[in-house]
Order: sequence, then structure tokens, then C-alpha cells
Amino acid sequence: MVHESLVGKRGLPYLFLLPAAILLLGLLISPIITGVVMSFQITDLGGTTLWSGVANYKLLIQETRFLGNVRNSIVYVLGNIILSTPLAYAAALLITSKFTQAQFFRGFYLLPWIIAPVVSTVLFRSMLDPRLGPIAKLIEWLAGREVIILADPFWALAFVVFHSFWRSFPFVMLFLAAGIATIPGEIYEAATVDGAGRWKRFIHLTLPMTSNQLGISLLIITIWTLHDAETIYAFTGGGPGYSTETLAVRLFKSSFINFDLNMGATIGVILIVLSLIFMSFYLRLTIGRGAER
Amino acid sequence: MVLILLLSGAMAFAAGEKEKVQIKLAHFYDPMGGGALKANYDWFQKLIADFEKTNPDLKIEQELFQWDQIDVKSMSDHRAGIEDHDIFLSSPQLMAQHALVGDFADLSPFVEADWSEADLKDFSWAAPWKKAVINGEMLGIPLGAHTRTLAYNREMFEEAGLNPDRPPRNLEETVRFAQKLTRDTDGDGKNDIYGLGMFYGPSRATIELFFAPIVWDQGGKLWDPQSKRASFADQAGIKSAQFARDLIHKYKVTPEASVTGTYDEVIFRDFLDGRIAMAWGWGSYWIQPLEEKGWIKGLFPPTAGGKVGVADVALTPTGPQAQFTNAWFVSIYKKSKNKDAAWKFVDTMLKPEYLWDFPDAGLPIRASLWDTPEMQTPFYKVWKEAVEKGRPMPPTAHYGELADTVAAALQEILVKDADVAETLKKAQDEYNAQYGGE
Repeated sequence: MVHESLVGKRGLPYLFLLPAAILLLGLLISPIITGVVMSFQITDLGGTTLWSGVANYKLLIQETRFLGNVRNSIVYVLGNIILSTPLAYAAALLITSKFTQAQFFRGFYLLPWIIAPVVSTVLFRSMLDPRLGPIAKLIEWLAGREVIILADPFWALAFVVFHSFWRSFPFVMLFLAAGIATIPGEIYEAATVDGAGRWKRFIHLTLPMTSNQLGISLLIITIWTLHDAETIYAFTGGGPGYSTETLAVRLFKSSFINFDLNMGATIGVILIVLSLIFMSFYLRLTIGRGAER
Repeated sequence: MVLILLLSGAMAFAAGEKEKVQIKLAHFYDPMGGGALKANYDWFQKLIADFEKTNPDLKIEQELFQWDQIDVKSMSDHRAGIEDHDIFLSSPQLMAQHALVGDFADLSPFVEADWSEADLKDFSWAAPWKKAVINGEMLGIPLGAHTRTLAYNREMFEEAGLNPDRPPRNLEETVRFAQKLTRDTDGDGKNDIYGLGMFYGPSRATIELFFAPIVWDQGGKLWDPQSKRASFADQAGIKSAQFARDLIHKYKVTPEASVTGTYDEVIFRDFLDGRIAMAWGWGSYWIQPLEEKGWIKGLFPPTAGGKVGVADVALTPTGPQAQFTNAWFVSIYKKSKNKDAAWKFVDTMLKPEYLWDFPDAGLPIRASLWDTPEMQTPFYKVWKEAVEKGRPMPPTAHYGELADTVAAALQEILVKDADVAETLKKAQDEYNAQYGGE
């Protein structure tokens, strides 16, 4: 055969993989390469592009604003995960239990997830309105004085994180519920017979047997949170000052409001690096656990 | 035979259609958006219909873009070598950027050829015109004037023992009046009415309407056109930021919440809800809501017998009495192949009879339109003076970054109690490190 003589038996599988590889390179890898190249360039408004080496990175690293952006991004991601995980487990256990109202909670818990991010942001902002917002009024009552939440750098960031957690916990819950549903009931029955209480059953059975689902859902949530610009931008615009401005918000402002695409690309590369760090951490966690089992 | 006749007729019709020169007009008035967008779209439909009637050889084709993307579209298409555009609505704040990109044609030759001295004077009196010419090239012509004044509640003035016909004229008076107007009406220890509404949120309105006018009052500037570097951290900037802080924390005449929310919420909504007695930066686009609320009568649309009621307006109480003044511009795409035809349409668009009805014009840009009887009320005389004294934003190609930097620095000063001089200096240095010298 002509084909076999050209590519040989061993080369044939690679030939079949070629279209997928071309698509992958063309659609996924090439924009990343373009972004990386752009981060080493400066384009003036006249359209002239010059090679600038690491000048964009140097400029960013020297800024106190950028360091704040990195800190806010990490706080945003970690805060979200720390709040989401326990609640998502609790909710997942509830909706997979034989509890009669489980069906209702299955739908109810999904509400934050199905509301459009910008809509939920507007709802949250109205709840924090110092004049009429119920949360603002509650805090005022507790503190005994007027607290303007979004004018306070700490509380503004705290509520941005809280909003993100509120939106993402149903997603983690769904993943975990799917994992919990695959655990055979006999294992729990055996553990109960052996005298394991609810807490021990959770720690020694549920947690290790859903670690894959947890790892994957947290990885997805981390990447989404890290790249989330729209909700923070609509919530606080990154303010007050730069106290809620994450890398993604900065990227959005640089690229799409101020049209500085090279600086946007530089921040994008830094975001990719951060995403890779998180990704390797989660993969290690899930693969490691898989190997242990 | 019939078929041949039909075919030849169709071909002749097509040939006739082909002979028409097509002009592409890019704007952002999407009729599906309803309200003001529809009203502006309808205005264009009438203009186009009239134009095509008198110019049967020309055909206008409309292109719709988002209002905040239309300038970028022109610049990026120009860079990409695309020739298929003719007319763009454009933003004066981005004119310096357009000048660098070179996507707009110089309109001076057309103006010199077709306009009389009177026509030129009719436009050049107003602040927005100053933004039209960059490096000797006229890159756009304003379609109207959007400016801002100090709106105040006359009833609250009377209740505080102030003369409503004598609004504040300088910053000291503004503070003094605001102190008298600030009140705790229900005796719970919290202010229910604040004397002066200012906005320091994360928005361009902060630099444009609430920081720049104070800097101008102090004799400073935000950006130096000679060195092309930010200069907002000089003494004028420091005094202006300190003034903002004092309004909130020392005099307590401006709500602390001024650093959050939006310009609309903090100025427009609060004034109409009676939570602030004086609203700094009241836009000409908010005359209609005053009429709808019944706080002014017969002033929107303007009538000769129009009168103020609860609300009134005054010039910005600073030395230069200047507020940020802008407008939508109309520009011709440099790569357009039909510049003459495009100019013909632009020239028609700028005729007084059309501009008078243009909903998005805001206030008239042509001086002659201010001479009509309905514009002779004291209310509109204030607005005319505001347009005349108005100022644009600095012609930096990195205006967006400058605005963001100033707003963020001000917020740090106001919410973190950061050192004024140090915070402004740090922000200015970081801006200049990146964009100084352009």
C-alpha cells in the first residue's frame, strides 16, 4: 500500500492524530504563544510594535499596585475555596441523603449558580447600600454606627470574596454530590456496624472517596475565580483605591478600557503562570491520592 | 420577449443602483435599545431620508457599534488597513489617541472651502470645539455640548436661611453654605441631608467633574502637555485632594458613601431624593428628569416661559467657573474613498435645523441656536455660560489610565486616610513610569 510505504506502520497512528494536533496548536496554543510574544513588546498608538524584552514585566513588578493585584487574586481564590469546600460538602451530603426535602434543596442550592453574575452583583450591591441595604443596616445595628461597606478596603474585599463563594459553592456541591452518589451504600453500612460515627464516616470514607471530584471541581473554580473580572468590575470597579483589584480586573481594564494590549498580555501571562501553579498543586493532590488508593 | 424586457429593466435598475455612491455612517444608536437610543436613531432616519432625497446619487448605509467601542473600532480597522468606513461618531476624550493612530481625516480643508466665517464662529465659541483640533488638524466637529453645573435645592436654601437667588460663588462659600444645609432632620444623630454632593468613586467622572475643576481653581493641571507627563501631584493637586477629604471628614458636608456606587446614584439619585442640597457636577443630560419631577417647569423642552421651581442651577463655584465639557463628535475616516460625499452628509448633519432636534446633542453647540427665544431664560443663560467656560480633559493618549490612577489615589486618600502628598506622588510616579513622555 502507498500509505504504509510512506508513513510506515508505526507512523500511521500519528497521522490520525495530526488533525487533532493541528486544531489544538492552532486554536489553543497559538493564542497563548501570541500573548507571550505580545508581553515582550510595546505597541505605540500609531501601531508601531517594538521589542521591549522584559520591560513590561519590570514595570509591573516595580508597582505597588501590581503587588496588591497579586495579593488580591490569591485572597480571592483562597477565600472562595476555603468558604466553598465545607459548605459544598454539607450541601452535597444533604441533597444525596434520604432526607424527604432533599429534592427541594437540590434546586434551591442551585439558585446562586443560575443567576447571571452581573445580576447577582447588582443584587449584592443593593443589599450593601448604606441607606437601604439590609446587610448594611444589619451591620450598622451590630456596630452601633454607620458602616459603608464598599468604602472600606477590608470589607469591600471580604464581600467580593463572599459573593464569589456564594456563586461557586453550588458547582462544587454538584461535583461532590456526583462523587458521593457513586460510593456504595454497603461501605457506609459496614462502617456503621463497626461503630464509626457520622464524622468518622465522613473523614475516612466520604472525603477520600470524593477527592477526585473535589480536586477537579476546585481546579475549575480556582481557574474561574482567578480569571473572573466581570463580577468584581461590576461590584466595586476594583476600588476603593485598588483594594479589590485582582489581576483579571487589571487585565480587563488595561486591555479593553485603556487599550494597552501589551500590558494586558503581560498580566495574562502572569495569570497563566498562576493558573499552572494551582493546576499542578491540584493534579498532584488528586493523582497522589489516586496512587495511594 | 416579455422576459427580455423584464431582464433588461432589472439590469437597468441594478445599474442605476450601482451608480449611487454608498456612504457608511457608524453610530451607536441601536433602535432595539429603546428610549433615548431609539429617539436618536429616529433622528438619523429623518436626516438620512432628507439627505438622500436631495442627493439622489448618494446612499447612506448605517453601521452600529457600542458607544464605548466605536472609537476603538475606527482605530483598529484603520490599523488593519480596512477601507470600508466613511463617517464615525467619536469621543473628544480620545481625540489625542486618534491623532496618534491617524484614523481620522483632517476636516479643515472642507471647512475652509464650504463654511463662512460666521459658520466657523457659530461653532468655535464653545469649549468642545477646542478638542477638535490636534496638531493643526481638525479631527472632528462637535454635535452638541454636554456640560455640568451646580444644581441646588431652593427650598432647602430657604429652610437654612440662605438666599436661593444667591448660590455659592467660590469654594469657601460652598463649604459655608454646605455646612448650613447639612441637617439631621429626625434627631437620631445622623445627617439626613448633606449640604454638598460630590462623587469620588472608581469612575472617570471622579477626575472629570470632581477633581479637575478644583485643580483648575488652584491654578494647576492634571497633565503637562509640554513634558507629556502627569502633574496632578503638585501643590494644586494636593490642595484639591485635601479639599475632598475635608468635605467628608472635617466639615462632614459630603456623605462618606461618595467613594462608592456610581455617579448617577451619588449625585443624580441623591439630589432628586432630597438627600443632598447641592449637587456638584449636575449634567445637562439631567435637565429632563428635573422637569419630570416637577422641580422646573417649561424648561425641557425649552420654552420662552420656562421657570425654575424647587431646583435651580449655578455655575461651578470655582475661580474659572469651569466644568468638564464634552460632546459627541463627527469624524471622517481617513481611509474613506468617498471623503467628499461623506463631508456632504456631515455638513448637512451640522445644519442648525438638524442640530436643534438632535436628542443626544445635550445643549446646542451652535451659538446661533442659543439666540432663539426659548433659550433666553435665566436657567439656560447659566448653561450657556457653562458651555463657554467649560474645559476639556488633557489631550493625553493615555487618558483612561490617567483617570483610573487619579480616582484610585483619591479613594486611597479618602478611605484609608493615606497621606495626601505621598499618595498622589506615588500614583503620579507609577503613571509617569509607564506613560510619561507618551
